[in-house]
Amino acid sequence: MMHLITGGSGSGKSAYAEERILEAPERRRIYIATMLPYGEEGKRRVERHRRMRRDKGFETVERYTGLSGLKVPEGSAVLLECISNLAANERYQEEGAGEDAWSAVVEGVRSLKRQCGTLVVVTNEVFSDGFVYDSSTMEYMKLLGAINQELAREADRVTEVVYGIPLDLKKERVSEAKERWENG
Amino acid sequence: MKLVIGGAFQGKLDWAKRTYGLREGWADGSLCGLEEIWSCPGMFHFHEYVLRAMEQGMLQSEQEGEAFARRLLERNPGLILVTNELGYGIVPTDAFDRRFREMTGRICTGLAAEAEEVVRVVCGLGVKLKEAKEEPSHVFSPLC
Repeated sequence: MMHLITGGSGSGKSAYAEERILEAPERRRIYIATMLPYGEEGKRRVERHRRMRRDKGFETVERYTGLSGLKVPEGSAVLLECISNLAANERYQEEGAGEDAWSAVVEGVRSLKRQCGTLVVVTNEVFSDGFVYDSSTMEYMKLLGAINQELAREADRVTEVVYGIPLDLKKERVSEAKERWENG
Repeated sequence: MKLVIGGAFQGKLDWAKRTYGLREGWADGSLCGLEEIWSCPGMFHFHEYVLRAMEQGMLQSEQEGEAFARRLLERNPGLILVTNELGYGIVPTDAFDRRFREMTGRICTGLAAEAEEVVRVVCGLGVKLKEAKEEPSHVFSPLC
């Protein structure tokens, strides 16, 4: 089951994503961190997220690029956070996929989906401040928008979190076969 | 507590005045005294209130933000708060701007958890995200 979670910064989407993993049936919980900790503020943010996960039984894996090559324990519950960082790393870091960033991220998520039980993916809404940025930032926004759309198609469930309140954008569908069975 | 959120220029304040029948007594978060929040029946431009408080050395840490939200729920539980929804753009390059966005989000998340109603106004129309005496209504589903 893949659940895509989106929202703005400071929306409470990280906390909501963790709760989904804690509710998942799998016992083994893997957290994939994608943010390169830049400077003091970056370290503080990473520390904040670590603190939130402490004592919740997460094993943390740091992975900044090349997600397709990552092996996770079969049938584990995986929290991938966050696509906005992963996309930037793939596009702009030296070891990233560069022009092929879209495929690298999408294939990476598909590879995780094949391996694990519950997959929760956190992404970011960065599209609505109305500013026109320099061409490289606009290109990045376009990349992230295209990745988000593909991941939403791939996901069984998509939720936007607004100040801690979950809004379902796409709901998990009961399979037709299951429905037929239950309706006799 | 009622929280009315949304982008700029969406008619949030008009919507709140009309819907909650509160015509007078609104404090403007961009210029009122910082103490007014503890007693006013309604405040708009709340994000600018947060900005000014930060500029004056208050609300510096996450803990202070959380404590502020708790205190506000206790001291002015009937407050109607109208605020721009920030945080839906590119992460600002300026560190203070980043902290401001983050702080507004954390405070509003704290308030939303206890608020009886949370409404997002788009094009002058209110979409209830959380309603009194009911579970959050997951009413809108544009992709389904």
